[in-house]
Amino acid sequence: MSIRFPRVLTAAALSAALLAGCGSAAADPTPEQTLPTDFDSLVELARGTTVTFYGWGGDDARNQFLQTTVADTLKEKYDITLEVVGMDIDAILAKLSGEKGAGQTTGTIDMIWINGENFYSCKENGLLYGPFTQDLPNFNAYVDQEDTETLTDFCYPIEGYEAPYAKAQLVLIRDSAATPEAPTSTEELLEFVQKYPGKVTYPAPPDFTGSAFVRNVVYDICGWEQFQDMEADKETLRAAVAPAMEYLRELNPYLWNGGETFPASSTQLTNLFADGEVLLDISYSPYSPAVNIEKGIYPDTAQAFLWDNGTIGNTNYIAIAYNAPNKAGAMVVINELLSPELQAAQYEAQKVLPVLDEEKLSAEEQALFDAVDIGEGTLPQDALLERRLPEMPAALVPLLEEIWTEEVVGQ
Amino acid sequence: MKRLAPLLLLLPFLALMGLLLWAMGCALVQSLGYIPAFGLTELTLDYYQALFTDGTLTASLMLSLKVAFLSALSSTVLGTALCAALLALRRGRRGALLLVRLPILVPHTVTALFLIVLLSQSGLVARALYAGGLIDGQEDFPSLLFSSGGMGMLLAYLWKEIPFVAYFVAALMGSVRDTLGEAACNLGASPVRAFFHITLPLSLPAIGSAFLIIFAYAFGSYEVPLLLGSTLPKALPVQAYLEYTHPDLRHRPYAMAMNGFILLVSLLLALVYAWLLRRKLNAGRVVQ
Repeated sequence: MSIRFPRVLTAAALSAALLAGCGSAAADPTPEQTLPTDFDSLVELARGTTVTFYGWGGDDARNQFLQTTVADTLKEKYDITLEVVGMDIDAILAKLSGEKGAGQTTGTIDMIWINGENFYSCKENGLLYGPFTQDLPNFNAYVDQEDTETLTDFCYPIEGYEAPYAKAQLVLIRDSAATPEAPTSTEELLEFVQKYPGKVTYPAPPDFTGSAFVRNVVYDICGWEQFQDMEADKETLRAAVAPAMEYLRELNPYLWNGGETFPASSTQLTNLFADGEVLLDISYSPYSPAVNIEKGIYPDTAQAFLWDNGTIGNTNYIAIAYNAPNKAGAMVVINELLSPELQAAQYEAQKVLPVLDEEKLSAEEQALFDAVDIGEGTLPQDALLERRLPEMPAALVPLLEEIWTEEVVGQ
Repeated sequence: MKRLAPLLLLLPFLALMGLLLWAMGCALVQSLGYIPAFGLTELTLDYYQALFTDGTLTASLMLSLKVAFLSALSSTVLGTALCAALLALRRGRRGALLLVRLPILVPHTVTALFLIVLLSQSGLVARALYAGGLIDGQEDFPSLLFSSGGMGMLLAYLWKEIPFVAYFVAALMGSVRDTLGEAACNLGASPVRAFFHITLPLSLPAIGSAFLIIFAYAFGSYEVPLLLGSTLPKALPVQAYLEYTHPDLRHRPYAMAMNGFILLVSLLLALVYAWLLRRKLNAGRVVQ
């Protein structure tokens, strides 16, 4: 599963963080560092301790993986006990900002699963510990230091305050038994909907997946580069995306329900696809066909495909709370999660893209990944990464959703 | 101590009420555009005004009012008819009244999902028609759900609320019918005449209450329009939630203004309800 922080969480988290920011006068941006910087000392400090990992708990595959494979490895290698706490990101951030407001120097949260706007507001408000990634041997050895997604998260500089640990990417899915063709560009998609009127649709933004699909259409028609440093001004954005909105309006008459109504969520689209009511599904989890074929939701002939010009990807990160009671332990755990062994195990168990640079892996380490059977209907990792486009700055996302609502629905 | 006991027992209730009122107060203050944490400090009615001037919001408001009114009206009429029919049963009246309670127990969310399974273009009904050769493909089946007119929502409310009205009205209507209604019949009125001249008018307070309850519910309900509504316009509660979760926190007063308006309408309905309740009690006294 890709990271999917529903927007309510984001908003609540932002407000919590903002309130906290007000309370503590934007706080001390660089918490004092008393930890040793060499990893062996960190490991010594962490031995026999407990580390808590807070994050969304709704993904069974992830919970299972963390509580068995990861927990066992940590116990065996470092005598660290991993405590996985399922909590929505808004609650985590509210808790954290509450602790900040109350001036607590030792909190309860060590590691946090985070990305995008949540990372932005946390870092801006001094709720995170760091920079820490430069002290992780596996981060230095295996992660591409020059990669955009190592340097920025939704175009916001990371500066060592969070470590990547899994990647997601938008894919389209068709049933190869139902349609011989896979529309791999906006142009081909237009021909496709004209051939199969009423049998294609996408979730209405602000649904997470629907919004990403619209961004991808914008990228395909207007190019992606211009958005990376665009200011968050609605009219600037409106002018830049006008051809894409025009294209989406052109699609409307051929879409499900004549483009008057769109599925409210990606789950609803998946149901329509599973029922054969539409011919394409869209997912931000590139390996979802394998999972859904296994569960019997998709037909065995379901197949993921990409657009020739690429699809949007994003990354899941782990950060450390500013007042984490066990920072050394958290760093050891994060380092271990970046080991080739656990990344390959995660790839197999959770069906998420690894974050390690293939060029930095030894032949034996590479073999760990090659041995993973990723299942039916999916694309190989290098095919995905070859056509991977960066996300838009977080501030542009809601503006684009508004423009879509104003200019596309029912037009 | 004896005098304190009732107060002590009321404490949990008062604590809950206090919390509720405090939260409502906060929401109302925010709806007036006062959220210092987001740099909003000027009191204004602009956000309420937007409900009546902004195209999207007005469309939401009108849709919610329309769906609430239509579902309340149709449910009340059909539910009252169903109730009268059930009460006229010579045998099995109690069994029928128990059966009618079943849909009341089903959550609205389940009803909405059940309608999707049944009535979507790839639903069971469409499949049966296709198998029977009555339609050539799913496109031929009318798109009842998710339409901007709110048909899907209306169907969900009807399925849930017709039995509710029947059950809700049955107590009063049953007692009126078995006493004054019977008396009228004994004095020579036809059953139809006894119903329209005696039973129905005396049951009106209960029927009116049922109308108000359904109206208030359908006006403020979130899950049915979320699952069965259209992309545009969205029902007021769905739109309010979207504004609430908008990443731009300065949109929050819009959400709160919508909540404020829903609250206002509900309060008005509650007042009318209280007034009807008193009449209903009086009507009950007449019967006894």
